[in-house]
Amino acid sequence: MATVPAPVPPPQPATNQAQMNPLPPSVFTLPQTAQLEALYTIIRSKETSRGDFLFYSDRIIRLLVEEGLNHLPVVKKVVETPTGATYEGVGFKGKICGVSILRAGEAMEAGLREVCRSVRIGKILIQRDEETALPKLFYSKFPQDIAERYVLLLDPMLATGGSAMKAVEVLMDHGVPEDRIIFINLIASPEGLRTFCTKYPQLKVITGWIDLGLNEKAYIIPGLGDFGERRYCE
Amino acid sequence: MPDEGRISPPKLDTTFQPAKNTVLVSHGRPPWYGENGQRISDAFVVGIAGTKRCNSSYVWQQLNTVCPGLFFFLSRFGILFGLSTQADRAVAKPMFLGKSFYKRHTDEELALAHASAFDFDHPDSIDMPLFAACLSDLKACKQSNIPVYSFVTHQREDEPKYLYGAAIIITEGIMALQDPALRDLYDLKLFVQCDTDLMLARRIKRDVEERGRSVSGILEQYLRYVKPAYDNFVLPSQRYADIIVPGSNNTVAIDLICTHIRRKLQERSNSFRHKMATPHMYTSPSGRSIPHYSLEDLNLTVLPQTRQLQGIFTILRSNTSSRQDFIFFVDRLATLLIEFALQYLPFSPRTVITPIEAAFTGKALSAKYVCGVSILRSGGTLERGFKRPLMLHVMLPVCVRKRHMAEETWVFLLDAQIGTGASAFMAIRILLDHGVKPQHIIFVTFLVARGGGVSVLRRAFPDIKIVTAGVDDVMQEGWIDGSPGEGNPQGRQVWTMLPGLGKIADRYYL
Repeated sequence: MATVPAPVPPPQPATNQAQMNPLPPSVFTLPQTAQLEALYTIIRSKETSRGDFLFYSDRIIRLLVEEGLNHLPVVKKVVETPTGATYEGVGFKGKICGVSILRAGEAMEAGLREVCRSVRIGKILIQRDEETALPKLFYSKFPQDIAERYVLLLDPMLATGGSAMKAVEVLMDHGVPEDRIIFINLIASPEGLRTFCTKYPQLKVITGWIDLGLNEKAYIIPGLGDFGERRYCE
Repeated sequence: MPDEGRISPPKLDTTFQPAKNTVLVSHGRPPWYGENGQRISDAFVVGIAGTKRCNSSYVWQQLNTVCPGLFFFLSRFGILFGLSTQADRAVAKPMFLGKSFYKRHTDEELALAHASAFDFDHPDSIDMPLFAACLSDLKACKQSNIPVYSFVTHQREDEPKYLYGAAIIITEGIMALQDPALRDLYDLKLFVQCDTDLMLARRIKRDVEERGRSVSGILEQYLRYVKPAYDNFVLPSQRYADIIVPGSNNTVAIDLICTHIRRKLQERSNSFRHKMATPHMYTSPSGRSIPHYSLEDLNLTVLPQTRQLQGIFTILRSNTSSRQDFIFFVDRLATLLIEFALQYLPFSPRTVITPIEAAFTGKALSAKYVCGVSILRSGGTLERGFKRPLMLHVMLPVCVRKRHMAEETWVFLLDAQIGTGASAFMAIRILLDHGVKPQHIIFVTFLVARGGGVSVLRRAFPDIKIVTAGVDDVMQEGWIDGSPGEGNPQGRQVWTMLPGLGKIADRYYL
């Protein structure tokens, strides 16, 4: 059961490096093709209709999930093809589980299910405590054997990183080792990414795009507004 | 000549089970182009003139019954470009010169036409330049959009009829040999000769019995329009004909013509699939052996070989995978592949304002028309993945059918694998015939055999983009048992990819 070496991270495009150079070694972004940029342009625009926002954000989520799965371990496997030849390939190894941070993270569950049909999904509800301004855990529910699984942590926006770090803390309390968590998000701020990766250097972060920074209300600039609000309400 | 230039016949005795699927249409159109991708000859154009009621249309009906399948139209084209069955049938019949190409009428002429007082028998009523333009497109194996004339409104309709893919084109009508530009386009000119008394007798009989008209009215029309047209235009055009066919008792003449056309048809079909499957076993026309192409020369764009991709391929290649798994992972691979291929469309900068009022300069698609064309049947497996990104562009085939649009269209050509490359080759030729630019064709496929037809494909069409999820090494030659074909006592020759993933379409659909 020899394991296959980890994939070489794709070349980091200039736009992401402009925001953050060098990237922390645990951060992986999608290849920034013109095509991906066009998808982001659509979901960032405030003129975009709800239908388009759903469709195009789903497409990015699908790409992110596929990239996240690439960081799971695989083992060598030899199969026989219908033509009678043998093929040396790889088999998937290890059980996985998705954990979404409510409510925006729920939007990414469908994308995960499209790729992993029967994946188990846990939930975490974290909100900012108005008195202490610190993130506070309200609710969490995980599969019983979560400690033996690789966890894909889902939250579309990484702004200050407060709730994401709280979520990781909760997961680790449930016995999930740090290096078995993969955090997937659409847009990250350099500040949030830096804080997060300093605290959890073993944890892999898959992000679609690294933006300019945060404004005084801790919104990502240019960002795309409130993801959950645009996805579920507006 | 399947064995021309062959270096060493392979001694593989691999046999395969007969295919589960049966091909119902036996007469598709064989390749009308050579290995260099250029067409070997123009379509064969026949012009048949003669008078009304002289049964010139009877002549082509005879042609059709004597040699069925004479008018070759690949049924697969019909599906490929979404041709309606109606249009298909229209292609399978000869086109009637007068009916499609009457000019667009002025209001004045329209009033005359409705009063049955317009002279439709005069050559000026026919739009000869347009007809010549359409015919020369069809002769050059390009698509053409033929006008449609309505006898209800006596006017040309706005939506033309799309035609493509004929190896033999037959033009029939009283004025068929009239125009010098048209005459230049014909490869064979026929004139059906009939006695004028007999014609008049038939006309009176039909009009009295079927249309209940009076004999004097019929005679008046005859003397005023039909006879002068015949004497002034139709009969003189007889001298341009290569062959004059009698209007009755003409079986010998028709038989001769059929033999001639059949031979022309054979000259227009090529077969080099075996050369594409194993190019290194043959020599090029100049006598040199065709070298193995290196992977770089093939200029393939291969999906990054990530762990997930390797895992997906392992499941797809395994002969123990369940049908459910196979379909699921084919769909998943298709989505990855299409998302990857989409980056090769052209994009231009675009600035938008985000909901928090910040500006973002990104990109927007700048292709005018984008469409997908799948090669039946295995290309259909890619369609699902394709539907996702391009749901917005639904009115597709039109932008390939009309040439001015085709020039600005980007086409994703979908097929499950490039083995021999024969169908890929034909599909690309078809798109180029329609005026699509080779740089605008993105061929998307799961698997390419680098020892197979892709090298021939690449040499013939250097500018197209080929995006693939994986690359296999060789094609293996074998025979299907129990179905010995023409000149092939061993059975039908097939090629499979090694290690390959079997027949994708069968595993996906059956």
